[in-house]
Amino acid sequence: MLIQYKIKQTINMASNKKYWKSVEELKENSSIVEKLKQKEFVEEIPADQFLGDKDTLDSSSTSRRDFLKYVGFSTAVASLAACEGPVIKSIPYVIKPDDITPGVAEYFATTIADGIDFANVLIKVREGRPIKIEPNKESSFGSTNARVQASVLSLYDNNRLKGPKAKGEAITWNKFDTEVLAKLNELKGNGEKIVFLTGTCASPSTSSLVKKFSEQYSNVAHVVYDAISESAALDAMKEMYGKRSLPDYDFSKAEVIVSVGADFLGDWQGGGFSTGYAKGRIPKNGKMSQHIQFESNMSLTGANADKRVMIKPSQQVNALIKLYQAIVSGVATREMSPLNTAIQDIAKQIKAAEGNAVVVTGIQDKNAQLLALQINKAIQSSVIDVVNTRNIRHGDDAKVTQLTADMKAGKIGAIITHNTNPAYTLPNAKEFTEALKKTKLSVSFAMSDNETTNASQYVAAIPHYLETWNDVLIKKGQYSLTQPTIHKLFDTRQFQETLLKWLGSNETYYDYLKGNWNNNILGGKSWNQALHDGTFSVSVANEENLVNDVDISAAGSALSKIKGSDLELTVYTKAGIGDGQQANNPWLQELPDPITRTTWDNYLLVSRIDAERLGLENRTVDNGALNGDMVNITANGVTIEKVPVYIQPGQAPGSIALALGYGEKGLQEEMSIGVNAFPFAKGIFHNASIEKVSGEHEFACVQLQHTIMGREGEITKETTLADFVSKPKDEWNSPPKFSLDHQEVTQDKVDLWEKFDDLGTRFNLSIDLATCTGCAACVIACHAENNVPVVGKHEIRVSRDMHWMRIDRYYSSDMTVEKGKEEGIFGTGDFFNAQIQPSDAPEVSFQPVMCQHCNHAPCETVCPVAATSHGLQGQNQMAYNRCVGTRYCANNCPYRVRRFNWFKYFDNNEFDFNMNNDLGRMVLNPDVVVRSRGVMEKCSMCIQMTQLTILNAKKEGRPVADGEFQTACSNACPTDAIVFGDVNDKISKVAQLEKDDRSFKLLDFVGTKPNVFYQLKVKNTKEA
Amino acid sequence: MQSNTFKKLITGLTFLFLISFSISAQQGDPENGKKLYNTNCAACHKLDKKLIGPPLKGVSEKRSNEWLHSWIKDNNALRESGDQDAIDIFNEYNSIPMTPYPQLSEQDINDIIAYTDDKPTGDLAATTSKASDPKVALGKKLFQTHCVACHKLDKKLIGPPLQGISEKRSKEWLHLWIRDNAALRASGDQDAIDIFNEYNSIPMTPYLQLSEDDIDAILAYTTVGDVKPVEVAAVVADIVVATPKSSNRWMSYALALVILILAVWILVQSKNGFLKIAVTIFVTLLGTYVLFDSLMDIGIDQGYQPIQPIAFSHTIHAGDNLIDCEYCHSSARNSKTSGIPSANVCMNCHKSITEYNGPVTSESEKAFYDAEIHKIYDAIGWDVDKLAYKDNYEQIPIQWNRIHNLPDFVYYNHSQHVNVAGLECQECHGPVEEMDEVYQYSPLTMRWCLDCHKETDIDLKDNAYYAKIHEELAKKYPDLENWTVADLGGKECGKCHY
Repeated sequence: MLIQYKIKQTINMASNKKYWKSVEELKENSSIVEKLKQKEFVEEIPADQFLGDKDTLDSSSTSRRDFLKYVGFSTAVASLAACEGPVIKSIPYVIKPDDITPGVAEYFATTIADGIDFANVLIKVREGRPIKIEPNKESSFGSTNARVQASVLSLYDNNRLKGPKAKGEAITWNKFDTEVLAKLNELKGNGEKIVFLTGTCASPSTSSLVKKFSEQYSNVAHVVYDAISESAALDAMKEMYGKRSLPDYDFSKAEVIVSVGADFLGDWQGGGFSTGYAKGRIPKNGKMSQHIQFESNMSLTGANADKRVMIKPSQQVNALIKLYQAIVSGVATREMSPLNTAIQDIAKQIKAAEGNAVVVTGIQDKNAQLLALQINKAIQSSVIDVVNTRNIRHGDDAKVTQLTADMKAGKIGAIITHNTNPAYTLPNAKEFTEALKKTKLSVSFAMSDNETTNASQYVAAIPHYLETWNDVLIKKGQYSLTQPTIHKLFDTRQFQETLLKWLGSNETYYDYLKGNWNNNILGGKSWNQALHDGTFSVSVANEENLVNDVDISAAGSALSKIKGSDLELTVYTKAGIGDGQQANNPWLQELPDPITRTTWDNYLLVSRIDAERLGLENRTVDNGALNGDMVNITANGVTIEKVPVYIQPGQAPGSIALALGYGEKGLQEEMSIGVNAFPFAKGIFHNASIEKVSGEHEFACVQLQHTIMGREGEITKETTLADFVSKPKDEWNSPPKFSLDHQEVTQDKVDLWEKFDDLGTRFNLSIDLATCTGCAACVIACHAENNVPVVGKHEIRVSRDMHWMRIDRYYSSDMTVEKGKEEGIFGTGDFFNAQIQPSDAPEVSFQPVMCQHCNHAPCETVCPVAATSHGLQGQNQMAYNRCVGTRYCANNCPYRVRRFNWFKYFDNNEFDFNMNNDLGRMVLNPDVVVRSRGVMEKCSMCIQMTQLTILNAKKEGRPVADGEFQTACSNACPTDAIVFGDVNDKISKVAQLEKDDRSFKLLDFVGTKPNVFYQLKVKNTKEA
Repeated sequence: MQSNTFKKLITGLTFLFLISFSISAQQGDPENGKKLYNTNCAACHKLDKKLIGPPLKGVSEKRSNEWLHSWIKDNNALRESGDQDAIDIFNEYNSIPMTPYPQLSEQDINDIIAYTDDKPTGDLAATTSKASDPKVALGKKLFQTHCVACHKLDKKLIGPPLQGISEKRSKEWLHLWIRDNAALRASGDQDAIDIFNEYNSIPMTPYLQLSEDDIDAILAYTTVGDVKPVEVAAVVADIVVATPKSSNRWMSYALALVILILAVWILVQSKNGFLKIAVTIFVTLLGTYVLFDSLMDIGIDQGYQPIQPIAFSHTIHAGDNLIDCEYCHSSARNSKTSGIPSANVCMNCHKSITEYNGPVTSESEKAFYDAEIHKIYDAIGWDVDKLAYKDNYEQIPIQWNRIHNLPDFVYYNHSQHVNVAGLECQECHGPVEEMDEVYQYSPLTMRWCLDCHKETDIDLKDNAYYAKIHEELAKKYPDLENWTVADLGGKECGKCHY
């Protein structure tokens, strides 16, 4: 049926904002941007190279006839070879374990506590292999981030230690025990000091074991040290509330959130706050929280803020003092600076919120933390909880410094490190490594070789957390259990097991743990139930909180003495790599950073103004890839050479930042990238100087890739709370209008295609842009669930990344140069008011994009072999075995979500990642095929998961309940921004969301009728 | 594949020349009938037992020849015509309609009926000669119900061998022991205590429910023992499996040769230009057809019958002993794989069945079968003499050769078909209970899958999962009653390829 309509599409502009992904797009007439808009596959196939080059052709000995002969021969051989199939073995168990049914997944509740990430998770186990990590949604710490999601691959890391070692040589555990015990006893005899240096374990049973050890060996100390230190906050808590643990924050209660340099949606104070934060970000009854962020480098938190004030670290200190003065002391500074105006404004808002407000700070200074605590105390904040505190950071920087000094002085007999790599993560790592050599005994418990194991005499191989027993007290009263989900892969022994051996006990750690729980924790409740749940809560008596009298004014005056400098260097953690303990995990290396959209690197973030001042440049080369200049950074007496520069919109002028977790030793070659930023990790900031050096760095940045044909202006929608509340829906979220015979009509009147039968289940996916923080947990979850291959840095650079879902990060600004000057609201620095460009202080919005599963899919109509087709349940299906790789579909997709397998990514030494070794392949999902070369692939809406849910319902003869249908991304989302379900089930959550006023479809005027829809973002921009 | 070539040649010839090669057939040839039966009927029928359909032995005595012809050709039409017999049979057999066979000729049907009438050699039940004495017969029955789990006649098992036990012990003692051995031991009977100690202090189940006569019968049986089967029919060897039909193959070669010689002869000898051209075209077309069809068979392993590490016979287990498929392939109901049973499942029975006592042939003697059973013990580490698992035995998994291989890009789930759809295993795997060595019965091609999906109706009414969609469908298409798997998305690519 072909009906000809005269269609005139009226483009709706929700706002006058311009959206862009890269500053390159702001340049006028950029040929590269134009090219990328027009071409899905930027990289030309180098056919010209061998066909166009006449010399090569002439000198080639292969004639046309030879070529045909070879083609004929190989076809014949291939056909003949296909005649006889290989003999495939089926090997059943000899004695099948009762609970394993081959082909059916089991789930176990456990807890990750690796020193940086703490979460209650469920492990999906197939035939005895953990293959996927899901959040344990029934627990209070059941949200996962990208690193937790990816940790399953770290289990199957070929780089892991396979057994204990002494001075670099493999030894047996027996010999290891004998030798170490002999030395320990000798040290005990001499009364020399034995020190445990560990990361935060937060494990009651481990602590009690260490205590037992201390009793037996008398002169023992336990020093805790975190690579991502929260020592300042802990010290402040100790001083004010008498206990060295972190306060908890329930951001869902907050009406006003003020953050001074705290990346609380990232790793600030252990993270895990995004679930609560997101609850306040959806307008309810015309109200939502307001989030104001003061920060220097663009963090995930700043990107989500309603108002982001970019100031350099020294000014953040200043801002905190002013905030304190305005709120607590009631002194309003009359300084006429935009920063001061903003702060006076915020103070008013906080007061108006009547306790439903909170001020948090990430300034690594005890006095600053004290100020923030005092503000929250003064406003009687309901958000902060200083009674039921969190134990997930315990590190004490002062003690570590003391320890290093003691070691240097030869006062330490033995040092036993566990769950930490101080020779890499300490700012004075070199000094520590030297000092380590002065101890009589050094034992390092580690999962793989690193700087510390290399410097230690003995290395004890420890298992991955998925192979161990343990317990964790994440928060006061909230106990969790870690249980093994796979038999140990290597000859490893966990730290606690070794301690028991050294104590002369024959008990296993499992028995010890269970005994400890039965005696001290469970209070008569069932151990099996606790293990099944993974968590156990005890009600905490509502104790009176001890409040010490703290001299805040002294703290304030100490703070005010901090002097800024021209270039202030800070360090930060990335959503993917974190502190670097999973740096050998290719999923995380290839995860595009949410803000910079760059993979496989760390780099120095510099503002445009500083870059111009110092003559530093980023260049977009012809195929859309990014190149950058390189510099040497000198700070804290250390120089790091050849650091690539990334010019970051929204970076406060005068501040620079470098990500931690890179440049570690002992990793696989592909993963040994970036520079080590830990030498700069201590303190608030460092005065730095940078010097441009020759050379050009090639980034693997995806920000310009998969550009949606110049339609960015219409692709994402947002509005302000004021408009949302007071204006009719059509003004901020109008559906596309078409004119038909000079009448304005809605879309359904001008459809070219016939409708599908809409019977039974139809899957829809809803993505809430208001609560999506861009954390990228979903990207890794998708990676793990769907066997998405890792392609490596070079392939990413040439636009061949394979991620089935991407999180587009758009910068936007309605600010023109004139307007900016007129209002002067960007001028938050003394020297920063000359040149304002839209790219200098943009707003940010995130938009996860995967296959939109169009009901009228443009890809389906162009496939010459019908390899992609429409399913009755709404999926756009892709049959890989049918695909011949014409790539027409990708060219015709308006959303740019199809990915082409340029190479065979498994069993191929060119792509030496997890799919290239037997161990790494154990993580593959057996229900999803590993795609071969030459086929197109894309999001399947996790059809393997929906099919299983349906099958289970059919077997049990019942309808599917709402919430049962999940995709990997919807399940992983810590903020419930992604909701999946049957839209024909009218009571389902997704059906409700579809009818919501905020709901819109991507590029809906194209008429593709997607089964994925979005909820537009609302920003609370009200001023006091 | 070879056996198909003949068929192809035949169809090819028919297709091109419209000549029907009628292979001369006699009235009701049971040989040919057997072939046809095995190809067309065996999936749902047995001669002597119900399967999906009724047993067919002597069916012509029950129904008229005409009726049978019309039923086989199109039973649906027969039922629709209101034939009460047809309707009754349909209802009796769970309303599963039989596949119509319009393609079978009258002659074919006569052949099949001849085969079902004839007392076919292949399906002779192993007639172990019944002991003439009814008491012994009763005793055997009781023995097999109550005693075999722990006793054998001639060997130790969990309890002592029982052959000739009444010669060793008095009748009274045996009665007391069998009815309540614990009481006997408690009374201080030294014999009873000794036996108890000798057999690892495992107390025997008391059998208070057995009457005096029952016990006498059992004892009579233990005295007489099993009378050796008088005649051992060559049961095992004669069951027809899809062994390559060598006669067919040679016939196809011969036919091809004849055609070729004929063609060459015509080309060389004939002066008729038209004939030459016609023959050339004919040979080319025929050759192309055969070549194309053979190429289409590449990768289809129908009939694949690898030699397995253990000569496990489904005939003995599923056929003779009627062990349910899902007893061993227990995950077929729950999982995507049907599951190859682990050795501990074998041991459930083979702890007590340590040797083969069935009919033997000259090729496979008892020793051969016994050795095969011992392979399980080698795998799992079972000590036949001590009747216990060996300590610290390094178990060796049995490496079966996988017969049904789907490519990686196909997702197939057994539980969907077995549990939800309620298919019998035989519908895809063929008469496994008659296979000594299992072979791939179905082609496992996508067309084969889809053909079934297009024909099979979904039972929308009895499963609450379908309630909503059934309601919607009934509203939208009030005239339609049945929906096939394909109607509800069972032929979408993405349902099996992901």
